[in-house]
Amino acid sequence: MLTKFFQTLCCAVIGVTFLFLFTACGEKETASAPVRTFTVGFDAEFPPYGYRDEKTGEYVGLDLDLAREVAKRNNWQFVAKPINWDAKDMELNSGAIDCIWNGFTINGREEAYTWTEPYVDNSQVVLVLKDSGIAKLADLAGKTVAVQTDTPVKKALEAGGKQEALGKTFKQLKVTPNYNNAIMELESGGVDAVALDIGVAIDKLKSGKFAMLSEVVITEKYGVGFKKGNTELRDQVQKTFKEMVADGTAAKISGKYFKGKNIIILK
Amino acid sequence: MKSLRTLLFLLLAFFCVSASPCVFGETVSAPAPALKSDTLRDPLLDLANETIAENNSDAVAETQQAAQPAKKKVSLPKILKDLGKGFLVSVAIFFLTLFFALPLGLLIAFGRMSKFAPVNWLFRLYISVMRGTPLMLQLLVWYFAPYYIFGVNLGKLSFCGIEFRFTAVIIGFSLNYAAYFAEIYRAGIEAIPRGQYEAASVLGYTKSQTFLRIVLPQVIKRIIPPVTNETITLVKDTSLAFSLSVLEMFTVAKQIASAQTTMIPFVVAGVFYYIFNFIVAFGMEQLEKKLNYYR
Repeated sequence: MLTKFFQTLCCAVIGVTFLFLFTACGEKETASAPVRTFTVGFDAEFPPYGYRDEKTGEYVGLDLDLAREVAKRNNWQFVAKPINWDAKDMELNSGAIDCIWNGFTINGREEAYTWTEPYVDNSQVVLVLKDSGIAKLADLAGKTVAVQTDTPVKKALEAGGKQEALGKTFKQLKVTPNYNNAIMELESGGVDAVALDIGVAIDKLKSGKFAMLSEVVITEKYGVGFKKGNTELRDQVQKTFKEMVADGTAAKISGKYFKGKNIIILK
Repeated sequence: MKSLRTLLFLLLAFFCVSASPCVFGETVSAPAPALKSDTLRDPLLDLANETIAENNSDAVAETQQAAQPAKKKVSLPKILKDLGKGFLVSVAIFFLTLFFALPLGLLIAFGRMSKFAPVNWLFRLYISVMRGTPLMLQLLVWYFAPYYIFGVNLGKLSFCGIEFRFTAVIIGFSLNYAAYFAEIYRAGIEAIPRGQYEAASVLGYTKSQTFLRIVLPQVIKRIIPPVTNETITLVKDTSLAFSLSVLEMFTVAKQIASAQTTMIPFVVAGVFYYIFNFIVAFGMEQLEKKLNYYR
């Protein structure tokens, strides 16, 4: 009877493992006989730059579509790999991903990665609830503000950052693992404000529950980050990206996510 | 069974009621101010202003109409399908971990109970480290060790077509849970009275026969409740695989929740976990009843 139990357990294990092996573990898209794989690491909870499409379940977004197009033009196999943002450096350095293309801010990280030229001008803004009565950055004094871990806006508001004085006026600077947690806290009243990228803020504004402060916290630029020293891949990606800008493809992709506007500043 | 169904229904109803404001609730309030931009550059700022203007005009329109349905319809069948796929990964992690950790735990228990001092200390150290450090940390160590210690490029590493990430998850989980199971086994084995060993040797059983035929069946019967505890903890711990970016169910729930700004995926994930845990607990209970042949 005990052996029967173990037999069923073994069958279950083998059965489930086979089931799992046939389901996708990541998004792979093939071209004809690809030269290599191009694995982009991203935070899959960062609409509209990289997120899961509700209808198809695929990973889409401004950055992922741009990367997909770059891979297609170079005959590379594109792999969109959602990563744990805390482990992004380890993933990049160990070769598990080839680059980080995800609304990745250059400011403050210039020496840590090999960067392409900046492709988006970004502001970090503050979201509050519609009836909160907070209208200016000065109104945030004595309030709890949430930021995502390991982001430039968090560094700016902490000691030694560009907006250190503003950060000091807060009651508390709360650090969350991702933007979605911060937004949930804002909705439920756990925090009074969230400081985040304007692109994500616009996406959240669509729900109609939030308001955005008219003043920005800091401005910065996005780039594509490669492992420090990986200039070969960076140059190839940059070359293809510039071609896409020149022939209008980049503007078209930007328009898809930003209501017709081209936010790409790469020349 | 009937009371169980009622309980499940009440739980589901509770979750739906608490989640519904997130889907259907809309508040109408004063128009938001437009953003200032001090340089010519920003199409993003323009877009933000446009979105705010849209929201303001929507707010005005809402006050003139009766209660409206939610603007975005959240598709439950789609969420179920996506989470179902992630659930398969969680289940795979669960079964594979048990498959490796249960036998390994027994071996470690033997090492822990060994009379040979260095072996004893070695296994005590192993159990102490595995139980004393967070599982998430251990997973990171197993995954990144080949690169940071041996310099292997992780992008090219895979076993039999399975990503190395998943292998690292199974290694990390199995080694961690083996330590917990080892202590459970030890408790079960040490609870067998000395008298049985003496009786067995009088009857002519060898050491291994004593263990396999007499001690082990009793131990298994005794340790089912604590093993059920660990197994249920394992089902929920599978969500830790997110730290190695393995797409199990809870990670998928988080992705859907942030793409669609809704709580429903979390509710569904909770239900999935509960149902699976219920089946596990039920199965273990049946096993206990079957092994209870002395009562």
